[in-house]
Amino acid sequence: MDEYIVEPDVIPWREGRIAGITFKCQVLMNGADGGPEALRFRFDPCPSVFAHMHLTSQFQLLLNGRMDFPKSTMKLRAIAVHYTDHNFPYGPFAVGDSHDMLVLHPKQGGLISMADHDARRQINLKGRHFYGSAAATDWINQPEFRGVRCKPLIPPSSGPYAVILECPPHACLNLPPAPYGRYELVLAGSASVSGRTLLPPGLRYVRHDSDDVSTITPMEAGRESATLMLLAFDNDACEGGLTGDRLSVAAAEAIERAI
Amino acid sequence: MLNENATAPLPVVVFADFICPYSYIALDQMDDLMRDYNIELLWRPHWLHPEVPPAGAPIPSAATAGRRAQTLAWLKEMAPERTDRMHFPDRIQFSLFAFEALEFAQDHGLALPFKTAVFESLWIEGRDIAQFATLQAAAEKAGLDSEELGRALSAQRYRKRVHDALQLAHDAGVTKTPTFVLGRYRIAGWHYYEVFQTVMEKQNVPLRAAVANSLPPVEH
Repeated sequence: MDEYIVEPDVIPWREGRIAGITFKCQVLMNGADGGPEALRFRFDPCPSVFAHMHLTSQFQLLLNGRMDFPKSTMKLRAIAVHYTDHNFPYGPFAVGDSHDMLVLHPKQGGLISMADHDARRQINLKGRHFYGSAAATDWINQPEFRGVRCKPLIPPSSGPYAVILECPPHACLNLPPAPYGRYELVLAGSASVSGRTLLPPGLRYVRHDSDDVSTITPMEAGRESATLMLLAFDNDACEGGLTGDRLSVAAAEAIERAI
Repeated sequence: MLNENATAPLPVVVFADFICPYSYIALDQMDDLMRDYNIELLWRPHWLHPEVPPAGAPIPSAATAGRRAQTLAWLKEMAPERTDRMHFPDRIQFSLFAFEALEFAQDHGLALPFKTAVFESLWIEGRDIAQFATLQAAAEKAGLDSEELGRALSAQRYRKRVHDALQLAHDAGVTKTPTFVLGRYRIAGWHYYEVFQTVMEKQNVPLRAAVANSLPPVEH
């Protein structure tokens, strides 16, 4: 089983700039060991962040502010989430209102601007794209977890899923297997896992191949309840990545320059 | 080696609405695709705002000047060559008459230049495409008989055909404009030209230049 736990409070912020866009960034996990890559960005207000893609599956979790995409239905207001398969371009998009988001990958994904004409030839034509927001999703009860209710922003039937769980104090969550990797994040309150207490937006990444969920340490809501979010990848997480080809090298260099 | 159907053009259908800016910026892409590949291109209607009356409708207050500037910035990144002269209309326009006129142009073999003229009337010249005069001016640019078009529109000669075409788009599950159907592939929403090239290659549609080079020399 792979397990990574991150407390963002102890990670320094960096100033970044790319194509005239300014932002602050935290590298929560760098994926250098072949594991997950997680970044946190706070973009300064910008009407047009350039279209780009990553070479791996991705969740963008909007923690605060707004992100507007050209598609009229994609006006994201926090809490909102946006998923793309590997090599699936998105944008340009506008950001504002104290933007704060997590970019969550199952492995290093690099960054490729869609101004790169060669990259356009590598677009994943069958790529999937899902999004959802907390405001537009109703709560539903979770009979398997007493007192817990959930909002499926991206329902599990989609393949990858993003679900908010509202847990009463000290609720203990034995979560299902995560063969392709899953981020488990604290949105509000607190939770403890593997002896560590996580405050928003503290997170754990877990991946394990076995159906034996007893090997996954349960998450326990803190004494004042917890709102958690699960973001799980499916088999697209095995695709793409930085494979050493020209596009991968360019993607790796671009993300290096950016952060 | 070319495939056995190399001489049969690949059908490409674009479901679009004249009032959609993303459909407008797809004009050049489709023209380029027709120049580069052996395709049969057809523009079909997908009506974005059937609730809008012929006089048009105010743009919702949510679409503020800031939002419009944002959209223009996006379009500029996607198709800078088209956006320099682009003007956004101050109302949501009524598309139905333009769809009827497109059917008229189709019957006269001039649908492609006519659709371009209508798009440019709206997005470059800032004209109202619900006005017969606008459509007749576009018809003249495309080489059509504008008087005859006026009579066809007044008589609603193409109304049923347009409704049938809209139903077809609905039945085909078209929900985004533009939607491109390229042989076996469907692309919902605007996309990069290179994506269309990839789709052509996946279906073994040869470049026109390759077809020309593979033909035996003409004897004089």
